[in-house]
Amino acid sequence: MVLHCYFHSLGHSRSKELKGNPITFYADIVNAMLIRATGQNLQMEYTRSLKLLDHVKLSEKPGKIIPSGDIAALVYLWNPFTIVACVGLSTSPIENLAIILSLYGACKRQAPLAAFGWVIATHLSLYPAILIIPMILLLGYGTDTPPRKLFLQRRNVEVGDNPPNDRCCEREEVVHRSEVPHVFSWRPVIHFFCWTSLWSVYVLVLCGISVKQYGGLWELFKRTYGFMLTVQDLSPNIGVLWYFFAEVFDFFRNFFLIVFHGNILFMMLPLAIRLKHRPCFLAFVYIAISSMLKSYPSVGDSALYLGLLGLFVNELADMQFSFFLFCGYVGVSLLSPVMHNLWIWRGTGNANFYFATAMAYACLQIILVVESVSAMLNHDRKLRKPLTELQDGKN
Amino acid sequence: MAESEAEVPKAKPRPIVRLGIFLISHSCLFSVICCTAGVLTLLLLPVLAKNTYISENALMPGSANPMFSSQEVSEANRLVKSLTSLDSKPVGSGIESQRLIAEYMSDLGAEISYHKFYPRSNQFHPLHFFSYPDSGSTRENVSCISHGLNTVGIIRAPRGDGKEAIVLVTPYNSLKVGPGEALSLGIAYSVFSLLTQVTWLAKDIIWLVADSRYGEYAAVNAWLRDYHMPVFSGLSALKAEICPVSNVHNELKENSVTERKINDGFRRAGTMATALVIKVTDGSEHFEDSLSIYAEASNGQMPNLDLINIVNYLAVHRQGLRVKVEKMRSLINCKWLKILGEILQSLGHVAKSLNPQWKFGIPAKDYVEGAATLASSLYYQALGVPTGPHGAFRDYEIDAITMEISSRVALNNKARKNDFLLRGGRLIEGVIRTVNNLLEKFHQSFFLYLLTSPSKFVSVGVYMIAFALLVASLPVVAASLYADAHKVDPSFGIDKSTPQASATDELSITPRSCKWLNAAKKVFLVHLWGAVVSFLPYFICQIPSCTPTTSFVVWVLLSSFSLPILSLILGSSFSYGRPSQPQKRDWTLLKSVTISAAFIGLCLMSVINFATAEIGALLMVPMCLMAQPLKLDIRSRKLRKFLRVACNLALGFLGFPPAGFFVLKGAFEGFGGITVGDFWSWLESIWSWSSATYLYIDEMGFSVDVTERDDIRVQSG
Repeated sequence: MVLHCYFHSLGHSRSKELKGNPITFYADIVNAMLIRATGQNLQMEYTRSLKLLDHVKLSEKPGKIIPSGDIAALVYLWNPFTIVACVGLSTSPIENLAIILSLYGACKRQAPLAAFGWVIATHLSLYPAILIIPMILLLGYGTDTPPRKLFLQRRNVEVGDNPPNDRCCEREEVVHRSEVPHVFSWRPVIHFFCWTSLWSVYVLVLCGISVKQYGGLWELFKRTYGFMLTVQDLSPNIGVLWYFFAEVFDFFRNFFLIVFHGNILFMMLPLAIRLKHRPCFLAFVYIAISSMLKSYPSVGDSALYLGLLGLFVNELADMQFSFFLFCGYVGVSLLSPVMHNLWIWRGTGNANFYFATAMAYACLQIILVVESVSAMLNHDRKLRKPLTELQDGKN
Repeated sequence: MAESEAEVPKAKPRPIVRLGIFLISHSCLFSVICCTAGVLTLLLLPVLAKNTYISENALMPGSANPMFSSQEVSEANRLVKSLTSLDSKPVGSGIESQRLIAEYMSDLGAEISYHKFYPRSNQFHPLHFFSYPDSGSTRENVSCISHGLNTVGIIRAPRGDGKEAIVLVTPYNSLKVGPGEALSLGIAYSVFSLLTQVTWLAKDIIWLVADSRYGEYAAVNAWLRDYHMPVFSGLSALKAEICPVSNVHNELKENSVTERKINDGFRRAGTMATALVIKVTDGSEHFEDSLSIYAEASNGQMPNLDLINIVNYLAVHRQGLRVKVEKMRSLINCKWLKILGEILQSLGHVAKSLNPQWKFGIPAKDYVEGAATLASSLYYQALGVPTGPHGAFRDYEIDAITMEISSRVALNNKARKNDFLLRGGRLIEGVIRTVNNLLEKFHQSFFLYLLTSPSKFVSVGVYMIAFALLVASLPVVAASLYADAHKVDPSFGIDKSTPQASATDELSITPRSCKWLNAAKKVFLVHLWGAVVSFLPYFICQIPSCTPTTSFVVWVLLSSFSLPILSLILGSSFSYGRPSQPQKRDWTLLKSVTISAAFIGLCLMSVINFATAEIGALLMVPMCLMAQPLKLDIRSRKLRKFLRVACNLALGFLGFPPAGFFVLKGAFEGFGGITVGDFWSWLESIWSWSSATYLYIDEMGFSVDVTERDDIRVQSG
C-alpha cells in the first residue's frame, strides 16, 4: 500500500514535469513494477534457501530480511538519474524496459516473455546480447541461490547425523524437495531458444518490411549496430570512449575498437563460471560492465544497474566503500554538468575538465562492480561457515 | 576515501592501505597541519606570484609606430567642445547628444544604427548560472515610458571578411554629459576617426556609445543581448504591441542631416574578439597620469590574461602611464601584514645568503601591496558582481576590460589636455592594433588567475595548492569519523578480536554499512532546506512595494517555517530524546556525512568560482572540524573543553551568513547604522547579477551551519 502511495505521489509530481511525453514515464513505472516483482521472487528464493541451510534464526526473524523488491523499485524510481533520463526524453527507459522484462520473464521461468525481452533489448541497444548467459542460467537453474555445493554439504551433514527429533526430519523433507531446481533443466532453455529464434525472425521480418525502401536489412545493421560498434559519433558523453577515439591515431582505431569491445567479452566467461549460482546478480554485473564500456553510455544505463543493485540489498549489506561510492556518485553527478558548462558555455575550461569527471565516473563504476562482486562472494562464504563448523565439529 | 580500508582484516595490508590507516589514525594532527599549511600558502601567494608575459606570439604588441597624431586630437577636441556646448544649452533632451554623435560618426563614413532598449528591473533567476544568457523573451518587467538609446557605429575593415570585430564602449549619461564622459567620447571618437583611414584593419570596429542613464551595465547588456539573440519580425511586432512605439528613429531622422546613412535595423559585425570599455576621470591623481584596469566579470570570471598584459605593456612601456588595479585600502596600513612582509623579506635575505640562486624574497612594501591587491582580487571575484560594463561581455565569452584613464590635474590647461588625449588615444590605438593581429580568440594565456599587481599574477596551479591543502583535511576527518562510528559499537563492526562470535550472530544481516543512510537523510534534508531558503527571495521579491527590512523579516519567517514542514513531509525525525548509547555513533556519522557534503560542495564551488570557495573554506573548514556535541563538553567542566565550546559557538555564529555579514561589515565600517535591511540589499545586489555566489552562500552556508548546529544540538537537546 505504501508503495502504491509512493507511486501515486510520484506519478503526480513527475507527470507535471513531463507534460506531453508520457511514454518514457510509463516505461519507468512499468520498470519499477517489474523490478519489484522480480525482487519478490528473488527474496522468496532467498528465504527458502536460508531455511534449507538451517539459518533458521535468521530466516524466521521478520525484520531481518529487507523487502528487496520494494527497495529496488524505489531506488529505481527515485534515482535522480532515472528522473533526468525520463525528463530528458531519453530512450533509455524503453531499453531498460526490455532488459527488465527479459529478466523478469526468466525469473518467472516464462521462456516466451524472456525471449521477447531479450530479442527486443538486443535489437534496441545491442549490448544486452551478452545477457543470454544469465538468461540460460536463470532458466536452467532457477533464480539466485547460495552455491550448490552448500546444499550438498548440508545434506551430508544431515545424513551423517540422524538425530531422532522431528525438526530434522522435517528439514530433510525440505531438502529433498529442494533438490529439483538445482539440476540444470534443459527444457525451458530449449523453449527459450525456440522462442528466441521465433521472435528474432519476427522482428527481422518486420524490420525488413519497414526498411525495404531504404536499402534493406544490411543497411539497417550498418547504420545501427555498426554505428554503435565503430564509435563514429565523438560528441562528449559521460563515457570515456569519445575522448579516447578522438585522440587515437586513425590506423590504431580498429585495433582499439576490438580491444574495447573485447574487454566486455573477456570478462563474461570468468564471471559466468564464478557466479553461475546467482544468475540475476550475474546479469547485474554484466549490465554494469556494459554500461561502463559501451560506446554511448547515458545516465539511464546507470539508473538501471543502480536499481538492480537494490535487488541484492540483503546480500550486499556488508559491502565496503558504500559511503565512499555514494559520495562519489553525488560528487561526480554534480561536478560533470559544471565542467561541461565551463568547457562549452563559459569557454574557460577545456575538454580535459569534463573528461576528468568522466574518468572519475568510470572509476566509481569499476569500484562498484568489484566491491559488489566481492561482497557477494563474501556473503556466500559466510553462509558456508556454519556448515563447515558443523561438519568439523562432527568429524 | 579510505575509511573502509581500515577494516581490511589482513595482517599486512598494502602500503597504500597502511598509509590510509596512518592518515586516519592521525587525522587530528593531519587536519591541523593541513589547515595551517593552507592558510600559510594563502599568505605566501603574493611571494609566489609570477611576472606576466605575453603568451600569444601573434599579438606583437607595440611593434608598429602609433599613427595617432595631433590631427586626431583636434578632432577629439571638436567633439568635446560641441558636446559641452550642447550640454550648456537648456534644450538638451537627451536625444540631442546622440544625434550629435551620430552625425560625427556618419561624417567619418561609418555605418550607424540606434539601439533602443528598455531597462529591465533586476530579477533573480535561480538557475541562471547554468543557462546561456537568456533571450529577450521575458519582457514582462519593461517599463514603457523609460527607454535608453545606444548609438552604434561600425567601420568595416578593409582587409577583413566581416566575421570578427573589436568593440569600443564609451558609457555616458545622455541627460547630462560630464567632462570625463565627454573626454572619453572624444578619445573614442578620435581613435574611431583614425581607424576609418588605416589600411591594416582586419577586424571590424564597433563603437558602442552606451546610454548609461539606467546604469552602464544595463545598456551594454541590453545591446549584447540583442546582438546575440536576433529578434525576428514576429517578436518585434510583439514588442511594438507591448510598448507603443515612440518613434525615436523617425524623430531622429527628421532632424538629422545624415538621414540616408542611419539604418533602422540592428547592425552586426560578426563575433567579437575583444571589447574595451573606455572611461576618463580627471584630477584625482597625485603623481602622474594613470590607468586603472577593471577585469572582474560575473561569477568571478576573468578575461584572458593576455588582454591585461597587452594593456599593461603598452601603457607602461609606450605611453608611460602608471597602471593600477584595485586594492583593498584598509589592508595597506595593516600592522600584522607589514610585520609578516618584513619576516618574509628577512627570510628571503637569509635564503639568498645561503644560496644566491634562491630569489623568493620580495620587499616588505611589495608584499603588502601585493597582498592588498590579491585580497581585493579575491573579494571581487568572490562577490561575483562585475566591476563594470565589461562584465556583460564575459557572459558571451568575449574578453573585455574597463580602462579608466585618469589625469594628474584637472584638464583645464589646453596643452595638458591635448597631451592627455594623445596618450590615451595612442594607447587605445595600440591595443586595437595588437588585438587586430589576433588570429583566433584569446586562448593562449590563463583564464583562471588572481592579480597581485598589474604585472604579476598567481595562476590556477599555484592558488589551487592553498585551497587543496585547506580542504584536504575534510575527507580524512570524514573517513576517520566514519571508521570511528563503526568501532564505537562493537556489534556493528567486524569483530576481528572475537572470532568465536557465533556464526549466526555474525550472519545477522544488519545493514552495517548502511547505517550512514539515516545521517545522509538528515543532511540531505538540511541541504534541501538550504535550497528552499535560497530560492525563497525569488518569490518574495514578487511582492510589490517592500522595504528591505520587511522583506528580510518575511524571508526569515518563511525560512524558519519551511524547515519543520519539510521534515514533516520527508518524515525525518528530529527527535533527540533517544537512548544515549547509539547517539554517539549517530553523531559521529552525522558529522562524517556533513563533512563529506561540505567537501563535495567546496570542490564544486572551487571549479565554479575559486575565490568564493577559498573564502568559504576558510570559514567552513574550521567549523566542520571543530563541531562537537555541546552536552558532552558542558558536562565535563574543563577549561579546554569550555574553550572548545566557545570556539564552536563563535564559529557557528560567524558561519551563519547574516551574522557573518554583519560582523564583517561592522569590522570594516563601524557598527553604527547597520540594519537588517542591509543584508537584504546586499543579497539583492548579489542575486541581481544572478551570481552563483549567492546560491552558494545560501545553500552551503545555511546548510552547513544548520547541520553543524544540529550536530551540536543532537546531544544538548
